[in-house]
Amino acid sequence: MVHKKVSPGKIALYTVTIFLALLWVVSLIWMILVSFKPSGSGVLSVRSWFSPPFSIDNYYYVLEHAPVILWIWNSVFVATVTTICVLLICSMAAFAFSQGRFPGYRIIFWIIMAGLMVPGEAILVPLYILFRDLGLLDSYEALIFPSIAVPFGMILLKQFFDGLPKELYEAAKIDGCGTYRMLFVITLPLSRSALAALGIFTFLGSWKEFIWPFISITDAVKMTIPIGIPFFNSEYNADYTIPMAANVIVSVPAVIVFLIFQKQIIKGVSFSGIKG
Amino acid sequence: MNKTMKWKQKSMAYMPYYVLLLPFVSTYILFMLYPLIQGFIVSFYDWEILGEKAYVGLKNYIDLFHDPVFYSSLWHTILFVLLSVPLLVVVGLGLAMIIHQPLKGQIIFRLIFFIPTVLTVSVVASVWSAVLGSYGGMANTIFRMFGASQDILWLNNPTLAWISVIVVTLWWTVGFNMILYLAGLQDIPDELYEAARIDGANGWQSFIHITVPSLRRITLLVTFLQVVASFKIFSQVYLVTTGGPAGSTRTIIQYIYEVGFKKYEFGPSSAMSYIFFFVLLVVSMIQFRISKERS
Repeated sequence: MVHKKVSPGKIALYTVTIFLALLWVVSLIWMILVSFKPSGSGVLSVRSWFSPPFSIDNYYYVLEHAPVILWIWNSVFVATVTTICVLLICSMAAFAFSQGRFPGYRIIFWIIMAGLMVPGEAILVPLYILFRDLGLLDSYEALIFPSIAVPFGMILLKQFFDGLPKELYEAAKIDGCGTYRMLFVITLPLSRSALAALGIFTFLGSWKEFIWPFISITDAVKMTIPIGIPFFNSEYNADYTIPMAANVIVSVPAVIVFLIFQKQIIKGVSFSGIKG
Repeated sequence: MNKTMKWKQKSMAYMPYYVLLLPFVSTYILFMLYPLIQGFIVSFYDWEILGEKAYVGLKNYIDLFHDPVFYSSLWHTILFVLLSVPLLVVVGLGLAMIIHQPLKGQIIFRLIFFIPTVLTVSVVASVWSAVLGSYGGMANTIFRMFGASQDILWLNNPTLAWISVIVVTLWWTVGFNMILYLAGLQDIPDELYEAARIDGANGWQSFIHITVPSLRRITLLVTFLQVVASFKIFSQVYLVTTGGPAGSTRTIIQYIYEVGFKKYEFGPSSAMSYIFFFVLLVVSMIQFRISKERS
């Protein structure tokens, strides 16, 4: 093999890339190091970050003093149920718009399209009044219901369904396949990539949702991670070690899932972003 | 066949589609349309938390136009859009170009730049508050190692607080733009670059004449999404600076939140929501126009 000389351009590129990558992870590495420093011990010099004492007491402390495991569970539960509902409800509606022609088609479709322009942040007050009147503040329902009828998801799927070959439907119709069966037996299995993309996008969105849970949830046992952590950490202003341990605990599941499904997640995000 | 029977048969054919639409449409009406209309109504009322209400006409809107905090919050939001959008688009493209190169460890670099986007805002804000903090905060400790004698109080000075907020947003969210740009870069056929090289183009020339024009559609999309996202800026700013120092980083959503859910003045908060909605609508329309003309 010919030994290729490394070009100066390549060296510069590596230098820049490694520098940026370090800049990007340094705060996360610091978070992990500090989380293992005994509470109250000095983190005042760079050397102290890397030298003992280290201990896992902060982790025990967080697990004992805050329902973090419950918050992780709440987040997982809410995001999972939301995702399932979005996929089911949106694909049903998308199929109706893709295959059906019925009175009211245009008006219903345009009313839903208009919803694309409404930011969730613009309806916080009436949504709060509605859930209070329903007696559903501080509930999973409050966290799930407002984010399941998403015009974005419906339109994304409709576009995908529109692109499926027409012959398939015609053949199925001749074989006497009914509308519902057509959706579940033909369309959905062929749309796995679009459903996966929308599912990942929805799950991430629900996982990271902040402002509405922040308003509608005040009971610590119904909190999700984005609400629970600030609630807990606000008591430890002067100490960095305990909040960092809490941050590590709630980030680990997300990072592990991300590492396992990295390819699918990145594909799902770019598919939803570009097609939507 | 008479008319009614024909109609009956036809409506039987429509039936399944209405059934399929029902769950979506009913949740959409209940949790989207109804609140949207209700919010509009509330914005004309003096609406107390316990439900007592009095019609006040346009008073809530008029009061807002005399409220300096409303103007400053709106201005901070626009300023944030102007500062953050170019940065997030350009850095997103830059990172995508870097990880598009055939480097060793490409996957790890992609991972590193994307990983902050899967973290929740609570973790991001908590880590960055500590990074920027004094007396043991990460940034100040590193600066001390390089000889700084005093801590920088990042969050006590309006300019530094703004820089902090933008850096946090960049770090947390730019991975999303990077991924969209990466998909765009992967769609550019290699032959284009090959041909340019044969014609004697250098790296910069092929970037300007091939990469940039090929990415036009993606750039419009990324910019569009980023403008809307930046207008909605709230959580990371609120958790890191709580709008401070002295309200200098308070954005419009934070003010909507504070008026609505700290003071429980639902009327003014709804009026502000509607103004925000209207601004966003106009901005989206303009962007839509531009993207239609360009393509």
